[in-house]
Amino acid sequence: MTVVETLLVYAVAPLALIAVLALLTLVPGRRKKLRYKPGQAWDHEPVWYEPHPVGGGGHGPTEAHGPAGVPGDGTTALGSSMYPEQHGPGAPGQSGGYGGGDSHGATGARALAAGPSAAAAARPFGGARGTW
Amino acid sequence: MTRVLEGTSHDTATSAGTMATRADEAEAPDSIFSYQELLRLDEALTMSSRETGLRFTLYIGDLGPQTRARAEELFERSGSDLPDSVLIAVSPGQRVVEVVTGAAAARRLPDRACALAVLSMTNAFASGDLVGGIVNGLRQLSDQAGHPRGLRTH
Repeated sequence: MTVVETLLVYAVAPLALIAVLALLTLVPGRRKKLRYKPGQAWDHEPVWYEPHPVGGGGHGPTEAHGPAGVPGDGTTALGSSMYPEQHGPGAPGQSGGYGGGDSHGATGARALAAGPSAAAAARPFGGARGTW
Repeated sequence: MTRVLEGTSHDTATSAGTMATRADEAEAPDSIFSYQELLRLDEALTMSSRETGLRFTLYIGDLGPQTRARAEELFERSGSDLPDSVLIAVSPGQRVVEVVTGAAAARRLPDRACALAVLSMTNAFASGDLVGGIVNGLRQLSDQAGHPRGLRTH
């Protein structure tokens, strides 16, 4: 074997193989679906999911019921029982940045408008909290 | 299952701009979940709500610095029948899950049962399986709440 042949067989060929495999695995766009990994940031819009109403057999656009059924803003096209979070008329431009005096006031006002008695009737909330 | 599929297709067909919404829906909205995952979530929510007579809603998004207060705020806006509602609020960015139950729901779903469901959910979340964890948690919660005798669902 000449030197050139030796180099081709022992250096270039393995490198070419490695390069092909690396290209297959690392090339972007191959994997469409992004998967949640714990610890990574979550920069999606908040979404509500709510069950289908009992009576309505799911034909036609789902009726908005209660304050969580969002009337109007961009919620009709999503098909299943999926609603983006409600952007109330009293809360301008809240796009993820919650936590602050004014957003507190806005939601408080909306809860009052929705019916203070209903919220009060449900008041001793139960539940649990978990972290991972 | 078929009903859910049918319902979604009808929804998109009846709203204006059929082609656009169709194309939008083919890849899942906001690309958080695939279409199959959305179906699983949908079915789990609907079925557990029908079985138990409680109203399960699911929120996925940021919960702010005071997660509990924020979850309760959201819960108060989550529907008309608050005492019988259950909210599962998941904040993957903060790695927090909050379950909020109304007063009547809390009688059937004591806090310990919720904590157990939350534990199984966080187990799945920690391995990166959001949808599986939520579906399992919903199953546990609805098993615990049971089926009231007077309730007619079918």
